[in-house]
Amino acid sequence: MDAQSLISLAQWLLVLILGMVCANLYLVFRLKDLDPFARWNANLINAWLLLLFMIGGFIAAAVSTGVWKEHFTLVFDSASEHGEWIDAMFWRTMAVSIFVTVITNVLLFYYAWRYRAREGQKALFYPHNNKLELIWTIIPAIVLTALILDGAFKWLKITGPAPDDALLVEVNGKQFAWTARYPGADLEFGETNVRLIDEGKGNTLGFNLEDKRGHDDLVTNEMVIPVNTDIEMKIRSRDVLHSATLAHFRVKMDAVPGMMTRFHFKPTKTTAEMREIKGNPDFEYEMSCQQICGGGHWNMRLVVKVVTMEEYKAWAAQQQTFIASYRQLNPEAGGAQADASEAEATAPQMAVSR
Amino acid sequence: MAEVTSHAAVTVGGHAHEHHDHEHHGNFWTNYVFSTDHKVIAKQFMITGIIMAIIGIGMSTLFRLQLAFPDTNFPVLEFFLGKWAPDGKLDPNFYLALVTMHGTFMVFFVLTAGLSGTFSNFLIPLQIGARDMASGFINMLSYWFFFASSVIMLISLFVETGPAAAGWTIYPPLSALPEAIPGSGVGMTLWLVAMVLFIASSLMGGINYIATVLNLRTEGMSFDRLPLTIWAFFVTAILGVLSFPVLLAAALLLLFDRSFGTSFYLSDIFIGGAAMHHQGGSPILFQHLFWFLGHPEVYIVLLPALGITSEIVSVHSRKPIFGYKAMIGSILGIAFLSFIVWAHHMFVTGMNPFLGTVFMLFTLVIAVPSAIKAFNYIATLWKGNIRFTTPMLFAIGLVSFFITGGITGIFLGNAALDIPLHDTYFVTAHFHLVMGSASAFGFFAGIYQWFPKMFGRQLNARLGYLHFWFTFVSLYLVFFPMHFMGMGGVARHYYSQTAFDFMNVFGDLQVFITIAAIIGFFGQFFFLWNFVTSIFWGKQSSLNPWESNTLEWTTPLHPGHGNWPGAIPAVHRWPYDYSRPGVKKDYLPQHIPDEEVEYEEGFKPELDPHHAPAPKRKQETGEKTETAE
Repeated sequence: MDAQSLISLAQWLLVLILGMVCANLYLVFRLKDLDPFARWNANLINAWLLLLFMIGGFIAAAVSTGVWKEHFTLVFDSASEHGEWIDAMFWRTMAVSIFVTVITNVLLFYYAWRYRAREGQKALFYPHNNKLELIWTIIPAIVLTALILDGAFKWLKITGPAPDDALLVEVNGKQFAWTARYPGADLEFGETNVRLIDEGKGNTLGFNLEDKRGHDDLVTNEMVIPVNTDIEMKIRSRDVLHSATLAHFRVKMDAVPGMMTRFHFKPTKTTAEMREIKGNPDFEYEMSCQQICGGGHWNMRLVVKVVTMEEYKAWAAQQQTFIASYRQLNPEAGGAQADASEAEATAPQMAVSR
Repeated sequence: MAEVTSHAAVTVGGHAHEHHDHEHHGNFWTNYVFSTDHKVIAKQFMITGIIMAIIGIGMSTLFRLQLAFPDTNFPVLEFFLGKWAPDGKLDPNFYLALVTMHGTFMVFFVLTAGLSGTFSNFLIPLQIGARDMASGFINMLSYWFFFASSVIMLISLFVETGPAAAGWTIYPPLSALPEAIPGSGVGMTLWLVAMVLFIASSLMGGINYIATVLNLRTEGMSFDRLPLTIWAFFVTAILGVLSFPVLLAAALLLLFDRSFGTSFYLSDIFIGGAAMHHQGGSPILFQHLFWFLGHPEVYIVLLPALGITSEIVSVHSRKPIFGYKAMIGSILGIAFLSFIVWAHHMFVTGMNPFLGTVFMLFTLVIAVPSAIKAFNYIATLWKGNIRFTTPMLFAIGLVSFFITGGITGIFLGNAALDIPLHDTYFVTAHFHLVMGSASAFGFFAGIYQWFPKMFGRQLNARLGYLHFWFTFVSLYLVFFPMHFMGMGGVARHYYSQTAFDFMNVFGDLQVFITIAAIIGFFGQFFFLWNFVTSIFWGKQSSLNPWESNTLEWTTPLHPGHGNWPGAIPAVHRWPYDYSRPGVKKDYLPQHIPDEEVEYEEGFKPELDPHHAPAPKRKQETGEKTETAE
């Protein structure tokens, strides 16, 4: 449906509503004797409507779930190891939820319909029953305890430390883009500081040029990671809060200015494999921002490619190191850079944050 | 106390008739504007709340339009919004401003001040048997601080850089830096100023409610005979008094960061082409402070609605509320737990993960008292004699929303499941059902139930039915499909979901939701029309139109300041003696002494019936209010 037909629908609806209001008011206030609804039993109608609403609601919920479920990215076809645990737990919880929601809503609407007021009927005086109360305190408590234990152990496992050999990747959020950084051959990130950011010179992350560990870092506008490898993702922001979200991998962690956050995961499906599963040759994993961060929040996208280890190594080898691209952009900085490196041993360390 | 007594003394004077020339013979300003009468203040809160609700819901239709038709221009929008909708398409910054102000208006101005302000003010003195609040003057100030706060918040909609746009949770640094988003300029300052006034209003109200419930209960009105409405309002007031000051502290520190260059929440920021001097602060600190209010706030919004529902479900089922003491216990349990679950909003914000497990534990525990409440409502319906009046329909709708929306809290409270679901439409669906829709239904149910007491007239029932069905169906149609989008990973606060392939598949669903929302919005005109016309031309109500047990129905049709023209009635039983075996009518008001109860023929009342839940203690005098006569 397009916007135009919506507008015309809305207009008709408005006319309809106004008409109904006018008709109703007329009947109520002016022509009581001619009121065609006077003999309708409002109690009966509402009781039936409630029951029908419930039945219709359940049918609609079931049918629409069937229609939309192929798009439930967050709960099917996880592309990471811990994501599979989360998905399984989601469906366990969903089973409990559906059971409880259906039972309670059915009782609510059925009792409402069944015990609608009737002539000469008197309600049962039944103020309490401690045994019943105890039952519906203890049963939810037991079920919830199971869910809590399940969730807590998985949570601690997911948020626990990554193995030592995990591949380090850093994502940097800013308004409104993500940048990835790799530590390069030395497996260590160079120091950065927002006070050293110089966009004109291409130092968008604020590298401390005196820290040689940073010289071989790779700064990229896409994130490429090898499959079946532990990834230790470091997350940072240079301006406001962002949230590094990898929906397909069940990864989400805020990027917080002034501190580094992290998330550890292990991708299990390459982009190519996922394209086959989804039947979509254009599929890409995407990182989005899910913490409100300003006007471009909705468009803060980073393409994430999961490849085999060989492909990853080949890709990494092709990338230009930070210092190479920096010198390319600032040919005059070469000499100054050399001076800086020499002075490194004695230069007082700048306040840096990692 | 002294003040109350004096009202009472004056009231006894001439009150055979019931009209507006009250005891004080004050003028228009003292009677209707700067009134200290709790009933007038309640109506002031109600009408301000309704106006704020219209604006807040109106905003949501605007951004729903954007979400459904991200590529369409609506020239009419440019006509009304000017530069905020160039070519008839919302500006992304203004979209966020709309979302922010929608949240602020609905959470604070409608469902906190509107709901508590109306019904705590109106019902506490009437249902506990008091002449007025403990301090009528502070009560009046409470409203006028709220009014000032509303006006400032509305003014912020018209400033050059737009209103606050950092989300209703105003997380810094976004809310602290005008460079980050235009709304964080003057708009944010006005937001903070308005909230400071709002908090002051809320505290004055809360202290008053607590003092009144503790001190001004009538003879015989012990705590185990209080209607559940009063229990809910009382506990809500305690929650507000304990948590709102923390938001005040958070807002002041944010004001310092914005205006005086401090670094409570800011550190290592490069924005607008330059690094800022801020060093050493933490945005997470703000989140802790905010949610220390923010989570109890959810229950500040919800508990009064649940209290109102308890009363209405019982009255219209003609049956005592099932498990009165369990209901009180669960209110207290929810209230206590609500203070130690705040960080479940922060599982993935960079907080220490171990804290996550602790907060997860308490969060899921809170489901137990909530489940007890839901089951008790259902058990109250069982074998009742249910009258589907408008308040009853809204109360049943509330219970349904409470169940359907509450159950998804089990997903979101689970830290591991929260990783993917956090900040998706799943969250939007969850809290709009359990907090938004349920509380709004509490508000509606309360208005339909107590309108006859407020204005001496009845609302038109048929328009009420239409209003209920439009609202009930459309709210489900709007918020239930949002679970699907949440499971699809669609993020909240997105101006458009077209940038991401996995989100963009939900375009049709967005259109469907928008249509449902617009239908629901128009459905509210049934209510507005009914409300306005019935105040002036509604059918005159009888004294106790719902055949209810509580004390407010013992007042005259148009109670003056002081509520009862004569003595305040004493209370002889709990408020839920509906369909008591042997009693002639199916209700037995609290103020009828045992000797005067009319029994069915041939029925011999036991002096201490087996089921009697209220203790037979005659009265604890002393602090009670046998003042007037």
